[in-house]
Amino acid sequence: MSAITATEENATPRKGSGAPPVLLYRDVRKHFGAFIAVSGVSMEVRKGEVVCLIGPSGSGKSTLLRCTNGLELIDGGEIALDGELLPRNWEGMRRVRQRMGMVFQNFELFPHKTALGNVSIGPMTVLRLSRAEAEQRAKAMLDKVGLADKIASYPAQLSGGQQQRVAIARALAMEPEVMLFDEPTSALDPETIGEVLNVMKRLAEEGMTMIVVTHEMTFARHVGDWVVVMDRGAIIEQGPPEQIFDSPTVERTRDFLSHLGWSG
Amino acid sequence: MNFDWSVVWRNADVLVEGTELTILLAVTTMVIAIPGGILLALMRLSGVRALSSTSACFVELFRNLPLILVIYTAYYVLPVATGLSFSPITTAIVALSLNVSAYNGETFRAGIASIRQGQSEAAYALGMTRWQTTREIVLPQAVRRVLPVLASTWVSLFKDTSLVSVISVGELAYTSMRIRAQTYRVLEMLTAMAAIYWLLGYPQAKLVDWINRRYAVNE
Repeated sequence: MSAITATEENATPRKGSGAPPVLLYRDVRKHFGAFIAVSGVSMEVRKGEVVCLIGPSGSGKSTLLRCTNGLELIDGGEIALDGELLPRNWEGMRRVRQRMGMVFQNFELFPHKTALGNVSIGPMTVLRLSRAEAEQRAKAMLDKVGLADKIASYPAQLSGGQQQRVAIARALAMEPEVMLFDEPTSALDPETIGEVLNVMKRLAEEGMTMIVVTHEMTFARHVGDWVVVMDRGAIIEQGPPEQIFDSPTVERTRDFLSHLGWSG
Repeated sequence: MNFDWSVVWRNADVLVEGTELTILLAVTTMVIAIPGGILLALMRLSGVRALSSTSACFVELFRNLPLILVIYTAYYVLPVATGLSFSPITTAIVALSLNVSAYNGETFRAGIASIRQGQSEAAYALGMTRWQTTREIVLPQAVRRVLPVLASTWVSLFKDTSLVSVISVGELAYTSMRIRAQTYRVLEMLTAMAAIYWLLGYPQAKLVDWINRRYAVNE
């Protein structure tokens, strides 16, 4: 497995190595009809690590992320969370989902609820906290993403960056072990991308385990601990960011990065 | 042509009673037909074949039969089918509820289908069950979105209650027609009836407009 070789070759050991991985993917496959979205992906995510999934659109990054929390059920291979194989049924995956937070490209905040309502609904319905407890937790999470003054605002009254920060708070309120980010800044205006990336960076510094599907190469380079490059449903290269960005070994990685104007 | 408007004032008390019954019929029907419609919509969208085809058959049957036929049928069939005797008012409410539930079922189905998949996925991602997702996320948005349609169904229903006069339910239309038959004051009674329906209906339509503005979902 390339993940292991890369770690061994590297002078500084991969974060969290020694401990069993939080997430382990082995030969994961997913197709939609005749279209093969993910074809035999194997990788691992260690505790406290920020793994960035990069690659051209349609390369299967988002699908792999959605397979992780069971929004898509995999067709082959296996995914393990904390050494336990993920179930292949809806109800089993529902329980697993509570332990993973997800942030969507289009925020998907609930428009009929305030910021506070958006963040407290999960703890209230899923964790069965009382309204008071859930709202207290929600306030703390909104404070954490810098939106303590927006608790009574509806999504439509917030900027894109603020909405995405509420969405991050909503996921964090479930106290997840892993956070999944599906192109969290792709729908944002350039001037609000920074505020979302800063929140994510702080989260990473606090030791949150994160998988980030992103086109923000600067973020992947400087915040990522491990970078996975996908193309046409498969991993073509993975390694620490210095290796991927400064001396990619695979031709297609070089093409992809130069296409984005990445100069190394 | 001579008009004698005193016939209206002399019968004011029975007209008020008839009006009250009209309101009662419309309100009771809607109170039944809103949950009824939601239930039909959820059955239709459940993905369980038996439920969705039952719902589809119900909707297509009652949506495509003339209401007056449903009223007559309920009047003659209900006692025979159940072995119980029903008051004309109960029969009227059953018939109206069948009809309006069918319409509401289609309304809610369209409303639920209009909520994008990402909203459900966001709820699932938190670990919500399908039912929690429907109750907390999808339905509240769907209901707001279909409020204008529900409102126009309500306005139609309010007028359609007059059809149950054919089974001698003493609502506004039946009462007016009876006074007309007793006094031969046709134009006076038709005018009084029109005035009462309009005066009740118009503020409702305005109220509905206000509700739409108040509860509009901004995205």
